[in-house]
Amino acid sequence: MSVLEVSDLAKRFGSLEALRGVSFAVEEGEVFGIAGPNGAGKSVLFACIAGFYRPSSGSIRLDGEEIVGLGPHQICHRGLVRTFQTPALFHSLSIRENVLIGARFGGAKEDRVEDILRFLDLERVAERRAVNLDLFTTKRVVLAAALATGCRVLLLDEPMAGFSFGEVERYLDLVAEIRRTCGVTILIIEHLLDVLIGVSDRMMILHHGQVLFSGPPDEVRRHQGVVDVYLGGGTGG
Amino acid sequence: MDAFLNSLASGLIVGSLYAIMAMGLTILYGVSHVFNFAHGHVAVVAAYLVWFAAVRLGLALPVGVAAALLVMVVLALATYWGAIRGLLRRSEWGFGTLLFTLGLAILAEYALLELFGPRVKSVPAVLPGSVRLWFGRLALNDLFLITASVVLMVLVGAFLKRTLTGQAMRAVAQSLPGAQVVGIDIDRIYGATFIFAFVMTGLSGVLLGTKTYMTPHIGWEWMIKGFVIVAFGGLGSVPGAIVAAFLLGVVEALVTLYLGAIWIWPAWLVTFIVALWLRPQGILGGRST
Repeated sequence: MSVLEVSDLAKRFGSLEALRGVSFAVEEGEVFGIAGPNGAGKSVLFACIAGFYRPSSGSIRLDGEEIVGLGPHQICHRGLVRTFQTPALFHSLSIRENVLIGARFGGAKEDRVEDILRFLDLERVAERRAVNLDLFTTKRVVLAAALATGCRVLLLDEPMAGFSFGEVERYLDLVAEIRRTCGVTILIIEHLLDVLIGVSDRMMILHHGQVLFSGPPDEVRRHQGVVDVYLGGGTGG
Repeated sequence: MDAFLNSLASGLIVGSLYAIMAMGLTILYGVSHVFNFAHGHVAVVAAYLVWFAAVRLGLALPVGVAAALLVMVVLALATYWGAIRGLLRRSEWGFGTLLFTLGLAILAEYALLELFGPRVKSVPAVLPGSVRLWFGRLALNDLFLITASVVLMVLVGAFLKRTLTGQAMRAVAQSLPGAQVVGIDIDRIYGATFIFAFVMTGLSGVLLGTKTYMTPHIGWEWMIKGFVIVAFGGLGSVPGAIVAAFLLGVVEALVTLYLGAIWIWPAWLVTFIVALWLRPQGILGGRST
């Protein structure tokens, strides 16, 4: 069963069409990769799904129920949480308090917090203030706060931007572990195409706000449209 | 020496009242980024209501204070849900909220003038009499004011740290989108912040009303003082506002002692300009709530 269904979604900012007729469905427990050139509409798509932008037209269904018109906190309470390219942390609070906020306001049980901190290897630094942390720790705190809400669908917006190769590997292990142990459905926007192909069950490429490709990851590189507008002469991401 | 110590004590008392007054303003700004230019008038309205209940109706002071704070809650809810919420959804929300709160201040000023007239008034002292200390006499009401202010500051700190609403307010102040994605209802938190700010500001007005005379126009003076304290302390910083309020309270008292009351405003503004010249972000700028 599709946990998330997006149908004929459009978003206009004045005369600019950021999204046009975008449709796709994500199955439960799936990792769904989204890529595309800068300005393709990837982050706008996440903003519409998570309730930050109201779509100009179209439908978004979570577990079969329409969520267009709901606010971000209401969508969070229904089990869908997004993260941002620039991590949104509460700097004057400790790492544990950041995660507790997720549990308290997301409607989940607070006793999950210690398990999540242990799972993401944040136990030892849990009392530190969430400021001046290294990027990998920052992204893990964001992930921990999102998981603490008890979400079933997680939207990760370029979570690995700025990572070293080693950190990318470790983050991918975390994503695989979250999927395996928590059963969370994951949508992930990423510019590193090799990484996205490796982690995704299915992929979608956006271009000028439209779906250019949707299908299995191993077909992405053979799709002529993707090669023309995104990969260019090379095959790397 | 006694005169100096007396002035210092007076400065600390007034500073503590200014701190309470600035708390509502700085927390409201820190959480919602709305600068309430009606802030001084909110304080005056609460003080006038207590005066009306205690002096005109002859009710007990606590009853008057409770009634005034209830009115503050209603005013806060009406202001947020009736106007600010809609204005924040517009692209020019900063200008819109500025004009609205300025309009609210003018409305409050002339409503007070119409209802209560232009004559000066004051809220009855909570504790009459005085006590003799080593540097001179201190009014019991002044002792009450500084005790009440310190207790209020401690309670506000506990509220922000320990309660769910306080934690949500701090979270929203630090990252609005971050707060939204973890399930915090922004409208509820903004509404709660307006209630908190109006109640705190109202309380500060009542306490100030026992120490100084009031007219319907004094709201502008309190507003400017609140603005200077908040900017001096660092926009949105509660500890900064408290430090700035005490500093300016003491400066005000010492200037009155050595130069005369006519120099209070120049002293405030010169201190403010010099402080911002040395530290443009304010004393503790960059730290929200």
